[in-house]
Amino acid sequence: MQKWGMVIDLDRCAGCQTCTVACRTENNVPFCGDGNAWKGRAIFWNKVITVRIESHGSQREGEPSASPGTNNHAGPRLRFLPMPCMHCERPPCVLVCPVRATTKSVDGIVMQVPSRCIGCRLCQASCPYSRRYFNWQEVDYPGTLKEAVNPDVSIRTLGVIEKCTLCVHRLQKAREQARDENREIREDEYVPACVEACPAKARTFGDLNNPDHAVAKLARSPRAFRLLEELGTFPQVSYLHESTWKSESRKSVGAEDEEEIDG
Amino acid sequence: MGDRDISVYLRPLLRTTWKAYALLAVALAGACWYFYGAFIYQFFHGHRVTGQGTHGAMWGTIVANIVQLIGVSHVGIAISATVRILQLKRYQQLARIAEFVTLVSLTAAVCNIAGDVGRPDRFLYNVVMHGNFTAPFVWSATVITNYLVGSCVYLYLAMRRDIYLCSRVLTRRRWLYRALALGYSDTPEERENLERTVWWCAVIILPIMVSVHSVYGWVFGLQPGRPGWFNPFQAPYFVLGAIVTGFSGVVAVVAIIRRIYRWEQFFPNRLFKGLGVFLGFVTLLYLYFLFSEVLTGLYASPEAERGVFHDLLFGRFSWIAWTATVGGMIVPFWVLFVQGANPKIQSMKIVVVGAVPIFFAMWGWRYLITVPSFFHPHIPYKLAEYSPTLFDWSLVLATYCFAIFFYTALVKLLPILELPEHFVPARPVRPPRIRLATMRGLGFFKRATISFTLASGIGLIAYGIHSRFDVLTPAPAIWISGIVCLWTIPLQVCLIPGFPSRRHMLAHRARQEPALLRPPRPLVTAVGLAERSSSPAIESWVDRHQRAHRGIRRRARMRVWA
Repeated sequence: MQKWGMVIDLDRCAGCQTCTVACRTENNVPFCGDGNAWKGRAIFWNKVITVRIESHGSQREGEPSASPGTNNHAGPRLRFLPMPCMHCERPPCVLVCPVRATTKSVDGIVMQVPSRCIGCRLCQASCPYSRRYFNWQEVDYPGTLKEAVNPDVSIRTLGVIEKCTLCVHRLQKAREQARDENREIREDEYVPACVEACPAKARTFGDLNNPDHAVAKLARSPRAFRLLEELGTFPQVSYLHESTWKSESRKSVGAEDEEEIDG
Repeated sequence: MGDRDISVYLRPLLRTTWKAYALLAVALAGACWYFYGAFIYQFFHGHRVTGQGTHGAMWGTIVANIVQLIGVSHVGIAISATVRILQLKRYQQLARIAEFVTLVSLTAAVCNIAGDVGRPDRFLYNVVMHGNFTAPFVWSATVITNYLVGSCVYLYLAMRRDIYLCSRVLTRRRWLYRALALGYSDTPEERENLERTVWWCAVIILPIMVSVHSVYGWVFGLQPGRPGWFNPFQAPYFVLGAIVTGFSGVVAVVAIIRRIYRWEQFFPNRLFKGLGVFLGFVTLLYLYFLFSEVLTGLYASPEAERGVFHDLLFGRFSWIAWTATVGGMIVPFWVLFVQGANPKIQSMKIVVVGAVPIFFAMWGWRYLITVPSFFHPHIPYKLAEYSPTLFDWSLVLATYCFAIFFYTALVKLLPILELPEHFVPARPVRPPRIRLATMRGLGFFKRATISFTLASGIGLIAYGIHSRFDVLTPAPAIWISGIVCLWTIPLQVCLIPGFPSRRHMLAHRARQEPALLRPPRPLVTAVGLAERSSSPAIESWVDRHQRAHRGIRRRARMRVWA
């Protein structure tokens, strides 16, 4: 059985937000409407946040700098951190969900069933990565966006939680195709929208259980790290970065100037 | 002494002034705002009407209020059960007032939970039918159901004799009390049976009460994802907090009731002093817990954890934290301490002045447990400030309106003081005459139903837990029905007549052999007269003999009034 995972190369990420837009269109992520974004209610299944790294020249020896623009200069540098759901191997959200609306599928995807969800927001509170979003208001697709709704993904209602599903509808399609043709599913058949859209090829997606696959190799690379590993959630999304990721060195920037996308 | 006059005890039921109607009307308006205004508005427009947000406070005032109300509910049954088990006669009249507080605040808390979840239409059904064994929310649904059903059974059984007396004494709403008494006729057997059952209920309900608030501690304490919550200490901390909150709430309620109904003889100042001493002690203990938690959070804890506690003490929440701690705990503690340490002071007012700030301070700390953790997430998101909207506050206020309405209605409908044993109605209900053979049959029937209920209750709970991982089985529904099943046992014990008692047998024999009715066999005489006696002298004589013979001395001791 596969274990779907993703590797995101932070040195390649340019912060262009294409993944965010691709995710929104693919998954019918609703717009939060006027006056809600500044209250922290905008929904982003995939969100690129800006992070300041205090560089202490901690580039590892013997490893070439992955992105040519980075030097070992002292002082802070800005990094973009794309945040999909981490699809943890031991997800706290699945433990606390009172109605089994969120489950860990056999191939490693943390699923969300909005029609089961009661909106208690316990999963949201328990997610250390804050990767779950609550529908604080009625779904709104302004203007012509109503016609651009993807029929493969159901629209969530008021008062339920939604989150990144690694575009599981694509997996279902690919799986059915493979079943029709009486074969195993091919690696390149199923790719989430954000991976497909990334212009910098910063994201690699595939089966972590297949040791020959690029994603498994990258996840084992010395540059790889996972967010908040100390919490023991074992995320299936890893990041690549040339310097170590120090918890004390990260600090949010642009709490004032970061632009939110809202309707 | 007023305790010779039953009308003193039943004051709330006998007379209702326009003030009570006005209070009921205002409180009902508030309750209607909760259910028909706020709740429905939020249901159709979403939680955007509150001040909450995903990146920011995802839980707010209403969650703080849920924890507060669950805390208040904690203490009612605690007081009542402790009074019963330890036979604290001085506090006995406190019991039912406190039980009503439990019932009311637990109901209000469940209403608040329904107001907090995003989909109240699915909430109960999904939790019960698709519940996840590992979720603290499901545990809470289980223990709250258990507690609510258990406290209702306990409250009813403890009140049954008084309801019966009401049905004989009062002229208004007699049908209600007659229906509620469910065939109670106050024979010595029935009374003894009732006492014993209620005592066992009290023993069983105490650990359940601890479980309820522990689960609320675990809702927060089991989350490593939020700094400031993950803490093994959380469950006992919440239980202690519940005791502090509940005691301060009960003190306020008792003071109001004493003031309105002029019941100084039942709730004398020294009773308040005792409550005040205990409240001061638990407040001090809470301060100690708080200090220990804050010290751990600030000393050399992980960065995010330190951020939360720094924010709490010196940051944006500091004004709530310091006001609550100093103005709502330290100062009231000293007020209560000064009274407790000084044998000359015995005052209700001082205790109330101490208790009310403690109640509000605890509310503040509930808020501080819930909200600040959201402002220090592990990942540096842009966060939105949380300022509770008018809507948030109106939900909280309306909840208390609902609680006041419910409480006033209970006070006006049910006897809130325990009627002492020496009140015997002039025309008691004659117990039904059942033939000896029928009695024997009923005895077997009673044993059979109780054993069957016990077996099926335990079986349902076991099966529910056994099938907890089966997606197709509604496991929580199964174990909750098992629990409810078990709670019918005390009712069965009290409601189904059992085997014929010795008194019955003797009476039967007396009917066969009238010679037995002569005074040398006082017990039999007693029985013959007890049911339709008119002379108080004979009655007391009968009583004495019955007690001596039937071992009701323990109960008799408990029923002595100061």
